[in-house]
Amino acid sequence: MRVTFCTDLDKNVVVANCEKRGWIQVGPEDDWNIYWAGTLTCRSLFSVDSGYRMNDNQIINHFPNHYEISRKDLLVKNIKRYRRDLEKEGNVLAERGDSKYLHLDFIPVTFVLPADYNMFVEEYRKAPQSTWIMKPCGRSQGSGIFLINKLSKLKRWSREANKNPLQPQLAKESYVISRYIDNPLLIGGKKFDLRLYVLVTSFRPLKAYQFRLGFCRFCTVKYDSSVAELDNMYVHLTNVSVQKHGEEYNALHGGKLSVQNLRLHLESTRGKEVTERLFDQISWLIIHSLKAVQPVIATDRHCFECYGYDIIIDNKLKPWLIEVNASPSLTSTTANDRILKHKLLDNIFNIVVPPSGYPDVRWNKIVSTEALGDFELLIDEDILNHGNHDDTASLDRHSNRSANFYRWK
Amino acid sequence: MEEIKDKSIHHTALRLCEDLKQNPTYKGLYTDVQKLVSSSNVKYEDFKESLSKSMKENGLEAELRNNVYHWVRSQNKDNLCYASFDSFFKKAQIQWEKRIHKSLNSMCSELGIHLARIRFTQDREELIEKWGELSNYDVDINKYRPVYSPKDFLEVLLNLKGPNYKHRGEEPTWDFSHIPIKVKDLSELRTLYSELSHGEAVMGMNTSRYMSSSYAAFEAERIALGERVVLSNHAPVAQEYLKKGCPPCLRKKMWTLVLGSEVKETHYHYYEKLKTHVLQYDLMVDKLIIKDIHLTASNDDQYFVFEDVLHQILLCFSRDAEILKQLSNKPGYMQVVLKGKPSTPENTLIFPPSGVIPFHGFTMYAAPFCYLFDDSVALYFTVRAFYLRYWFRLHRVCGHSQGILCLCLLFERLLQCYDPVLWHHFKKIHIPPIRVVFKWIMRAFSGHLPPEQLLYLWDLVLAYDSLEAIPLLAVVILIFRRDNLLRVTTLQNIEAVLADLSSIAVMSMLQMALSKE
Repeated sequence: MRVTFCTDLDKNVVVANCEKRGWIQVGPEDDWNIYWAGTLTCRSLFSVDSGYRMNDNQIINHFPNHYEISRKDLLVKNIKRYRRDLEKEGNVLAERGDSKYLHLDFIPVTFVLPADYNMFVEEYRKAPQSTWIMKPCGRSQGSGIFLINKLSKLKRWSREANKNPLQPQLAKESYVISRYIDNPLLIGGKKFDLRLYVLVTSFRPLKAYQFRLGFCRFCTVKYDSSVAELDNMYVHLTNVSVQKHGEEYNALHGGKLSVQNLRLHLESTRGKEVTERLFDQISWLIIHSLKAVQPVIATDRHCFECYGYDIIIDNKLKPWLIEVNASPSLTSTTANDRILKHKLLDNIFNIVVPPSGYPDVRWNKIVSTEALGDFELLIDEDILNHGNHDDTASLDRHSNRSANFYRWK
Repeated sequence: MEEIKDKSIHHTALRLCEDLKQNPTYKGLYTDVQKLVSSSNVKYEDFKESLSKSMKENGLEAELRNNVYHWVRSQNKDNLCYASFDSFFKKAQIQWEKRIHKSLNSMCSELGIHLARIRFTQDREELIEKWGELSNYDVDINKYRPVYSPKDFLEVLLNLKGPNYKHRGEEPTWDFSHIPIKVKDLSELRTLYSELSHGEAVMGMNTSRYMSSSYAAFEAERIALGERVVLSNHAPVAQEYLKKGCPPCLRKKMWTLVLGSEVKETHYHYYEKLKTHVLQYDLMVDKLIIKDIHLTASNDDQYFVFEDVLHQILLCFSRDAEILKQLSNKPGYMQVVLKGKPSTPENTLIFPPSGVIPFHGFTMYAAPFCYLFDDSVALYFTVRAFYLRYWFRLHRVCGHSQGILCLCLLFERLLQCYDPVLWHHFKKIHIPPIRVVFKWIMRAFSGHLPPEQLLYLWDLVLAYDSLEAIPLLAVVILIFRRDNLLRVTTLQNIEAVLADLSSIAVMSMLQMALSKE
């Protein structure tokens, strides 16, 4: 039986990968096995009105309510609830010290505005000198983001947003306000963030894989936390869509340094131990961000999803989760980008399609070592629960640090 | 006989002492010894024994030994094996330098600028302000072009007509076979790189998809051993350690130890002086340096993050007169009178003070070191030490066994010997194989291999104190890709086959080539 695929994205990397496998492209009305869809298409497909029912040989690249993790406000809400629940259970993971969570303190302090305004003000007063970053919940690619360091500025913004008769939606738009990481790790004097890819093939039980390749996105301008530069987004935002418009943008490298090279630099300058700890902490925060949404994501055997994780590392080598994208960009800005994204898609298909080569949701979704490619197994609750982790060599990474491994549980 | 030997050791010791006294770090060392002598550990009755014992205990002995080691290494720089050719190469190099200088002068007159002048105050202030972000230093370099490229230099080398040169009709020079210098064959290379040829476990073998647990254990073992090496502070031990490749976390220490490039307070002062010189004088070579960084590192996704610090250290490098002094065969240099000043000795300066004129890609001799150092001064002195020991021979005409010419010859003979089919394929399609790999050799693969792999290769350079691994790797890469090379017939396609070296695992490939079947 030939595999058929369908996509509503005009992305060559998707089509090229499918065609390379000998899959046949069909329209959405036809009998497709694999749908690589935009989030909107996906949502309407799952909506009650559509009446579409998938059969056992159909898979699709989003979960119906992925926004539980990809919307900035919902992610924060879910993580806060997750911590509270663990705390109620008396779980050691939710241990606190100095009022902060010791192990689950991986997102900057965040509030949703206007809803949590009073809570924000209370927090703000604790450290009135600090800088906060405002982000519209529903937008992406750095649009609508600004920094504030005075409460008055926030008030002025809120007045103006309410006043604007031409854009009444602006008033309703909700924002998250987060403590700004003003001590980011700098390389060559410049700020960067990490873009990592995580594939989830199931939320209950949780099965997640982390892509070993990824990149750092650099600001083109030297980092400067002074007030004068507060409004200069080229200093603060690493989004390629922002940086691209800067004078200093270089299209040959696109401001992107590979994660392997970041690792080499950190190991060389700071040592192996702290570098390993950093990368372990990154895996840790990814796993717990997924566990935080695990109970609320509508689980559906037809779904898999690839998330783009945005992480900022501070100068104490602590990683902070900034946000999660459910449709990470597949556009390539440079030659290496193209190679990376091609590999990413190839490896995703290797994992989501069973060894038979034909999509089948009844498959137990336990992936052989060979099929992992550049993905590493982050967590598979099936394997954890059955204790038969011998057959997955990818857990090897943690075998010499078994203590680390067991904390995944 | 014994007597003569004694005498010669005595003479060597005298020379060694004289030279050590000239060393900038000597003063500190001497003070430390003085302090030790006045401590209660050193007894008057048993002066020699107790002093050497306490020197051992507090690490001064290791420091002294390292000084001797660096001195010995600096002594046998000049052992040119081919005296008969020596004068020929010298002449050729002088001619080549003249060409470079001429080209500099004509670029200056074309652009209507001077080689050297006092820097304008406004310019100086901008430089001071932007010293930390020199990639944003506003200077018009559009009209500047690299003085020469690896391709130009290869042309010069290919056109060398040695004393044994016979005109071979119309055919353009195809290889270096007319330069009768003996280079190592594979079995001699196996002897040199014996640790690699024995197939022992080495670092850098983790390129397979999964980081196997056995490799992780091996790495942990190497790190534990390496930490003891670093603690011992013995340079020769560090050199030995590097033979199996260095874990990234120890490389900075290992390399500085082997090169003797640890920085002390004097180094910071020295570097500051170089910076002052940059701020004071506006040299035309500054623009060439900036241009080269823009053309190379700034556009390179492995190195763009380091462009600012590269500006700093390469500008300072051009001002470092110590480089000119230490180069065994002093390059020809220009004496330039500052613009608008009377021609007096105090207005004349050597241009550039280091004597080194950058070519297209010169930045790549320094860029990979940026992965190892956060501190620009420490970075500078290791880059300089590496340059003075190895890189300078990659862009000059000389017959030294570590020189570019011998490395090219080594490449050719190895390829001819071990893959005659491929060699003939190149011959048939009229593409000299050296043309394809010359840029790799001249840049020691910098910018061609991913940094992680490149640094393993440079580990070997230091460990075996030899650049011969570089042409060897070039041959292995060609042989590795021979099937694809045999299928194509144009230079463009050949270059396409060899363009992407991201999958090359340096240590395993060299090991494969050096181990006996």
